[in-house]
Amino acid sequence: MSLTAAPEFSLASVGGGVFGLSELHAEGPVLLLFVSEECPTCTLALRRLSSAGVPFVAVFEDPLEVAARVARRTGFSGVVLAEPAPYEVSQAYSLVSLPTAVLVDRDGRETGRVVGWDAEALESLVSIPLTREAPLRKPGCAAKNTYDADTLRALDGAGFDELEDMFERGWTDGLPVVPPTVERVRAMLGGHDGDELLGEMAPALASVTLERVAACAVLAGCRPEYFPVVVAAVQAVLEPSFNVGGQAVTTQPCGQIVVVNGPVRDAIGLNGSAGALGPGWRANMTIGRALRLVVSLTGGGFPGRLDRSTLGNPGKVGLCFAEDEEASPWEPLHVSLGFPAGRSVVTVFGADAPLSVSDHRSLEPLELARVLGEAAGATWSPTWWPLGGTSLFAICPEHARSFAQWGWDKERVRSEMFAAVRRPAGSLRWGETTPLVQAASDDSLVDKWSRPEDIVLVVAGGEAGRFSAVFGPCLGMDTEPISKEVPWIT
Amino acid sequence: MDYVSPFDERRRVAEPLAPRPVSLEGARVALLDINKRRGDEFLDRIEELLRARGAVTFRLVKEIFSKPAAADIVRRIADRGDLAVEGLAD
Repeated sequence: MSLTAAPEFSLASVGGGVFGLSELHAEGPVLLLFVSEECPTCTLALRRLSSAGVPFVAVFEDPLEVAARVARRTGFSGVVLAEPAPYEVSQAYSLVSLPTAVLVDRDGRETGRVVGWDAEALESLVSIPLTREAPLRKPGCAAKNTYDADTLRALDGAGFDELEDMFERGWTDGLPVVPPTVERVRAMLGGHDGDELLGEMAPALASVTLERVAACAVLAGCRPEYFPVVVAAVQAVLEPSFNVGGQAVTTQPCGQIVVVNGPVRDAIGLNGSAGALGPGWRANMTIGRALRLVVSLTGGGFPGRLDRSTLGNPGKVGLCFAEDEEASPWEPLHVSLGFPAGRSVVTVFGADAPLSVSDHRSLEPLELARVLGEAAGATWSPTWWPLGGTSLFAICPEHARSFAQWGWDKERVRSEMFAAVRRPAGSLRWGETTPLVQAASDDSLVDKWSRPEDIVLVVAGGEAGRFSAVFGPCLGMDTEPISKEVPWIT
Repeated sequence: MDYVSPFDERRRVAEPLAPRPVSLEGARVALLDINKRRGDEFLDRIEELLRARGAVTFRLVKEIFSKPAAADIVRRIADRGDLAVEGLAD
């Protein structure tokens, strides 16, 4: 039998670049598997040949992004080529039905062809054992090059859903995302240089560029005017003393909590009032989410993979809120940290989920300080004293106003809270406890915090209701809150 | 549709594994304690077993388990050791 020359082609590859047939058979025979997205027999062939370890090149009668998606879904990791309409290569190969496997020798001649799924025929074509699992034979579907123009028009775009595509790429935290098109990312960058390097993030040791942060901000649903706040938050977590790499992979439930102060809050509609911890406000929800996407996608700390958090916590989806400086009787957080009042500042905390603390009855300040402090006494573990980390308190306006009416400033609240929460070491010597408690005598008093500065107070929440909250720390991460000025405001 | 990837798409080339030792006799083995509770107990036992097989051991301790080892520790392992054993987790 005389062998015919396989038609030469040049097709775009999902992995980048263009492949010609002559390159593919230069090193030896190559198996071309012609497939399409809509055909279940093609999916079967892709899965079964892949799992049998048969080397082949997949040639899709589909656009590039569709080919990439099907290859990911079927676990195929070889060369994937795409031929969108009008399918000249398929016509040159006289394809009538898909899948069609065509074996081409190193001289570029077709040496065999199998149409549809036929395990026995394919096995003899490639000389590699295939599974004997049913079905052993399955007819394929019509090749698209045989479709008439009306059918092709009806199909155009019907097989592609870009939101589903994001899930299949893994560009998500499990919620729908906004696809980061070139145009959207450009708008997010707002003229800033996308190649600007902010740092390297563990565990992926990935270069965190402004463009990748912008891609995450688009995915999260941010508006471009939120972007500088996201950038400041990313700059903060990249500080070595924040230890984002440790937080990203630990079995602890820690997330990265973003607190925003200054004029940018009003400029972008960031909520610090009713429902500040969410949900309901786009800026709050999407800025926190964008930071978490940078950590989990760009940085590689994805849950269940390198992020080994035992339970996680809803705050790991993202948590960002403003301090309600206008409702606060005290100086705002960023001013306490040394920034001028008129500046916009982001402070990021590595922290556990918030614990709500109700107190509608205290009649004097020490009583209220003690209620709030004792709630923090249970964080990490009720017997782990001192914590050795930061407790972030979101103090509701009614609690803050009561303290102010009783004449207590923020410093006084903090120091009294610190002093109020003490236990004899003997009462803490059970379960998981600290070396300090183990070594202390039974009646020596142990504090919940190592120092008053480990208590951070910000005011947030609605006008009504005496509910504050405390975020427990991420212990063992040796993390400290980091503040960064918002680099620009649009 | 053209998208901007959130990932650092550089392809990483895997570092080749160092040659496997044929014997532990005389091998210099670094035992790295990451500073998690009871890691020292685990390494004590490993050290005992390695020494019984003729290895020469030395111990190092990270400052904290959740951060990368200091450059100095990595350098000491590379300079002084033929092999390294790291005690992970609790």
